[in-house]
Amino acid sequence: MARKTEIGTPDRSRRRPKFDGELGSREKIDLDVIGKRQPRLDGPEKVSGRSVFADDVQLPGMLCGKILRSRYAHARILGIDTSRAEALPGVKAVITATDAGEIDVNGREPVFASDVVTYIGEEIAAVAALDELTAEKALDLIEIEYEELPAVMSMRRALKEGAPLVDGKTEGNVWSDDIDNYGEVEPAFEAADYIFEEKYEAGVTHNLFAEFHVAVVDFSLPDKLTLYTPTQTSYLMQHALAPAFGLTLSQVQIIHLNTGGAFSGRGSVRPHHYIAILLSRETRRPVKIFATGDEEFLVCRALGENKYKMRMAMKKDGTITAFDMEAEMDGGAVGTEVGYFGWMAGLCNSWVFPLEGLRMRRRCVLTNNRPNFLGHGGLMLSTNAAIMQLINTVAKKIDRDPMDIMYQNAIEEGHTGLSGEWFASCGLRECIETVRKASDWDNRYGKLEPYHGLGIGIGSMAAGAKGAFRHDTSAVMVRVSEDGIVTVYTGIPDMGQGTHTTMAVIVAEVLGIDPNDMKVVAGDTDLTPIDVGAFAQRGTIQTGNAARNAALDAREQLTVYAAGKLEVDKDDLVFRGGKVYAQSAPDKLMNFKDLVYKTLHGKEGRSVMGRGFYNSPLQFGTTSWSFGAQIAEVKVDPDTGEVQVLKVWVAHDLGRAINPLACEGQIDGQVYSAMSQILYEEVQTDAGLYLNPSRLEYKVPRSYEMPEIDYYLIETIDPFGPFGAKEIGEGIIVVSGGAIAAAVSDALGGEFIGEMPMAPWRVLKHIKRAQRQEAAGRTAA
Amino acid sequence: MAKHLVTLTVNGDTYDLVVSDNQTLLDVIRDEVNLKGTKRGCTTGSCGVCCINNAKGEAVLSCLTHALEWDGEEITTIEGLEADGELDAMQKAFIEYGAVQCGFCTPGVIMSARAIVNAHPEPTEEQINAGLAGVNCRCTGQIKVKEAIREDHRFRHKRETGSGTQD
Repeated sequence: MARKTEIGTPDRSRRRPKFDGELGSREKIDLDVIGKRQPRLDGPEKVSGRSVFADDVQLPGMLCGKILRSRYAHARILGIDTSRAEALPGVKAVITATDAGEIDVNGREPVFASDVVTYIGEEIAAVAALDELTAEKALDLIEIEYEELPAVMSMRRALKEGAPLVDGKTEGNVWSDDIDNYGEVEPAFEAADYIFEEKYEAGVTHNLFAEFHVAVVDFSLPDKLTLYTPTQTSYLMQHALAPAFGLTLSQVQIIHLNTGGAFSGRGSVRPHHYIAILLSRETRRPVKIFATGDEEFLVCRALGENKYKMRMAMKKDGTITAFDMEAEMDGGAVGTEVGYFGWMAGLCNSWVFPLEGLRMRRRCVLTNNRPNFLGHGGLMLSTNAAIMQLINTVAKKIDRDPMDIMYQNAIEEGHTGLSGEWFASCGLRECIETVRKASDWDNRYGKLEPYHGLGIGIGSMAAGAKGAFRHDTSAVMVRVSEDGIVTVYTGIPDMGQGTHTTMAVIVAEVLGIDPNDMKVVAGDTDLTPIDVGAFAQRGTIQTGNAARNAALDAREQLTVYAAGKLEVDKDDLVFRGGKVYAQSAPDKLMNFKDLVYKTLHGKEGRSVMGRGFYNSPLQFGTTSWSFGAQIAEVKVDPDTGEVQVLKVWVAHDLGRAINPLACEGQIDGQVYSAMSQILYEEVQTDAGLYLNPSRLEYKVPRSYEMPEIDYYLIETIDPFGPFGAKEIGEGIIVVSGGAIAAAVSDALGGEFIGEMPMAPWRVLKHIKRAQRQEAAGRTAA
Repeated sequence: MAKHLVTLTVNGDTYDLVVSDNQTLLDVIRDEVNLKGTKRGCTTGSCGVCCINNAKGEAVLSCLTHALEWDGEEITTIEGLEADGELDAMQKAFIEYGAVQCGFCTPGVIMSARAIVNAHPEPTEEQINAGLAGVNCRCTGQIKVKEAIREDHRFRHKRETGSGTQD
């Protein structure tokens, strides 16, 4: 059953876009709107409680849905008796696997367990009732007879010979085993002067979005399904749900008015979506399912346990030539494409270093843990934390400054990566120099007090990942209303990153208007053009290009009247500051709003509506990558092992800062999340039971623990991004993780810390060991 | 489930409500008074999205308190901060300083922030941190939230003196 692949170096020509310009020209264009600090357009609604989230939706006759979940990690279901629940007054439906029939979730897992449960929290039955209390009572009345089966709760157990099979069929519990070999790996290791090896482990996390898992469904009519839910991709949800319920795509309306955070955790349909739909179909009434506090931790699908082994080949002069990485990833009870993220995580290294060889093996292991998927920063955060820490510690061993090693190995513009990626813009070295200077690294590194450390991390992130999803299209519509107000229609979800405002700013720049004179219509598949969604850092570059194209189309329509009226050539027209004028004769001008009015109310009645779309010119991957360098400064308490992050200097080559205010917000959130995952976050379990399923016990940084952050936005003006923009989505978090991990290691005298999170007790273990060694050394002397 | 008559004043409007023993103040605000700005999160007091202000202007987690304990009380929710059709100083500061991202926790964070400045009109770093200890916001890392709270008095000043641009 296990999938095994082994892939060699791919055809590089497929990954290079056509480009005739001059690299690194950083074309200077005079911009009016882009680059200004633009507060979010939806700010007034969000600060006043007017913003509607899925849980705020109240439909007439709506019922409350609740899910009965497995109490065992592995058990046979001998019988389910729902009769007492059904008899409870106020209960409108009780459903189980029989009611789901052939429907499954993503072709991977059943909606409800029927004969066997394979993890704690697995869905077994669900009820719809008049109110929450009745629904909860009904769940208590459902009787299930279990026969407990041996469970495997760790990858170590799952891989042991003779271990029980989690899904009963996957040999050795290895769901997938993929190897990628790029370039010449073994020759690079043979020719290396140094080979460094380390092991690294990362624990289980939660995405920890503010808005819990929720679905509000109206499927009371057989040919119309409406689902209100937070998501990163409404259009891919349509693709999953429509065939499952025998509907066409257009019969499924996904509404995500606002999405309360995502952090890589809302990229797919989940069982609760299907269950709410089934309950609504059964009762012919709207149904809401809302996860309660600890249920939220059971249904969340973030990162599971991950273990890495890595080898790095280096020349005497510090040149890094190859990496060989092996990852074991706990997929939990349902096999997922978590291997893909392992592939990305390994590949990241070839985006910053000009390697000769890169080998990655990723095994996804099945266990009886919660099905895992992806967390904020994904596996890229943990692998980069390990690799940056490794380079920082190695530098000490060979008596080099890690800063110099980073600089000397950093790729430059025009480089072609091992899997064929071609980097048309790259400010990696500029980022390194910037933080080096800003932090006064040269005067401070290696000279700090004991237990006080500095670390440097570098990294890169692809802006977009064509081929990872069913399609990669983004379309945008720009409607110019009679009064000159411009509305952008986009299908990309804004889960906080500010992409709707970004799109408005791009359109405003093209049309020369004030973004505050604009509206954004989004979050409803019945209203907006298609967009595959907000993930893989594709929003600014893909949807942004579509927005720019739509605005250009609208502008073209407006020039027809303006050129005639002003008696100038239409290519001579400039749209700026709410005016339209001739470049050659600025006194020939008219007001944007007048132009719109006259275009619409002229003889032909031209209504102005621009359409734009964008799909990467490549068959696979992306055209553009962000680059970054960060330095973190930390202090460790040698008595408690507690780490305090004092300051983080962040330099990020994002191509172009469309909205610096939002860019800074992205940096803040990602430094927070990186620090949180490197130092604190860990779902603790005992035999599959959650020990800390709340935000009080699952530690994240509080405001007093946040470091000071210095921002440096490096603009390299990418030839493929809209106005040169690339991404600032997850490019930061990956580098922050590396810098913070490296700084902790520096504070402990350069010791590699192979565990994440670096919780106080783990750090203390290292301190105590070092102290014992020192004491033993003294005694021996 | 026993029912009780409760008189509750929300944002200056008085409601006569029939509430059950088990209804929290959050349930009543969202379901009976029908104000949805106060968010439902963990309902166990760990996330802070349900924060409101009591009559003294202190922060209260509405998910942790029974509605019937609030008979005769006055509370302020996020919807009650506007005056004369204008956003409150803190709300304006949150927008201008980029302290809002996904916006789900924002009402709770703003009510916590209001409680901080209600007690300390120009709060110190420690007072801000103490007042924000009950919330967590993964989007912003609370950095711009703190900036907005520090600068809130600037917006208040504008309104009081009439020298602000909004006048």
